[in-house]
Amino acid sequence: MHRRYFFWVALSLSLLFTGSPPALAGMPTEKIKETTNEILAIVTVPDRKDVPLNAEMKKKIRKAVDKRFDWEEMARRSLARHWKERTEQEKTQFVVLFGQLLERTYLDKVEGYSGEKVVYLGESIDDNYAVVNVKIITAKNEEIDVAYRLRQKGNDWLVYDISVAGVSLVNNYRVQFNSIITRSSYASLVERLKEKIAPD
Amino acid sequence: MKKTSGIVLMAFFACLLTGTLSFAECLDNQQIYRSEHTLLYSESAPLEEGYTAGLDKSKASSKEPSADVSPFLFASSVAVKGKGAPSRSKRSSEHLVLAQVEPKEEFQDGNDLETIADPLESINRAIYHFNDKLYFWLLKPVATGYKAVTPEKVRVGMKNVFYNLAFPIRFVNCLLQAKGKAACDEFVRFFTNSTIGMGGFLDVASNKLELKKYNEDLGQTLGAYGAGPGFFINWPIFGPSSVRDTFGSAGDAFLEPLNYMIPKSKYRIPVGAYNTINKTSLSIGEYESLKKAALDPYTAIRDAYYQYRRAQIRE
Repeated sequence: MHRRYFFWVALSLSLLFTGSPPALAGMPTEKIKETTNEILAIVTVPDRKDVPLNAEMKKKIRKAVDKRFDWEEMARRSLARHWKERTEQEKTQFVVLFGQLLERTYLDKVEGYSGEKVVYLGESIDDNYAVVNVKIITAKNEEIDVAYRLRQKGNDWLVYDISVAGVSLVNNYRVQFNSIITRSSYASLVERLKEKIAPD
Repeated sequence: MKKTSGIVLMAFFACLLTGTLSFAECLDNQQIYRSEHTLLYSESAPLEEGYTAGLDKSKASSKEPSADVSPFLFASSVAVKGKGAPSRSKRSSEHLVLAQVEPKEEFQDGNDLETIADPLESINRAIYHFNDKLYFWLLKPVATGYKAVTPEKVRVGMKNVFYNLAFPIRFVNCLLQAKGKAACDEFVRFFTNSTIGMGGFLDVASNKLELKKYNEDLGQTLGAYGAGPGFFINWPIFGPSSVRDTFGSAGDAFLEPLNYMIPKSKYRIPVGAYNTINKTSLSIGEYESLKKAALDPYTAIRDAYYQYRRAQIRE
């Protein structure tokens, strides 16, 4: 008798919990999925394999990426303590340049897309910061772990860092930029950025 | 020299024996593990509990970035504390904690510059240039030529053979890190791949059994026991390493079966060279891509190596 009662209480409680999680819980993952699917739709055109992306595709991809990435936050974090020392004009210029560098790098990588699968492993949210974990499975069955770090801005979630196999993009650039600034100067960093971005 | 190799071989076979005895048990556990796994995947309720549990744990943990980390595994997860002896907490199958890599503080503060010490920077940079030339002038042309005449399946197969042979290194280091399940899985992988997988050529364990790889080595074991990386060393030919990882590689060499299987030491270098050429042929373009994305390739490689090893140790 008691056991049956207990069973029903447990069942109803578990039903309560398996109801839909709070609306925001899946948001960061949804945003990442949105952008990823958008870009994959542009890139996976039937006979595109091994053909470089044309200007139209590049523009579309840039737009999609622009929506999801918080360039200023990434630029600020990659300059770290050197950010405070910059003038407003320098800051604006740097954000633009860094954004262009990342876009270019991203475009190069996306160009080489050849049917890799993306598996969404889950996310964790802490206040207005989130981490979305993703696994990319290549044609050769290699698995690469990627983690997107997002920050909530109003109603939207924007990416401020990507970690591939545990290597954070922002951290990596931070160390590079710091090395260049301390060994030569900020001006030379800007020069090198411009050289990198210039189309070859 | 003969005596030490004899002892190591005996130790190896002892491991093999104990492994075989528990092999059947392992296989049974695989079934249980996999049914738990599928159960977890379909339930959303435990997920919510798991998130809060993981988040609370990270808030309560110390401020050191290395101190908290819950790696992401699907069922049981293992937490490694940074300094001192590793303490393990096996969570029940209900709690699924995914990569929550940094404590809340690091989420907000973008101003730390945590990287590996590099007192030998000028020497390391010089060696970087040497390795760079070596890649472009020697390794890449040879690998490209080899790639053109060898089908991909063969190259992947050979890579699997070499990987399979390094089993003792992974097995022993899993045990040293008290990762029983990983050691078990690695044993099953080795056994199935060596037999059904034709000496390791076919990675049956990954494809049919869907077993995860646990690529442990002595450097990671030392790291798990609290050894910091020391400083950065860029070896000619061998590439980026650290003080700890150099010791680790030297130690692992005693467990490398190839060193015992090839009786004449003059053949070890060609075999090692073939392994390198084969592996490179499968990843041509990755190094170039890294260089293209970097403003200062040397620093990029050094930091990427540091972060990558740190992430591997945390797993």
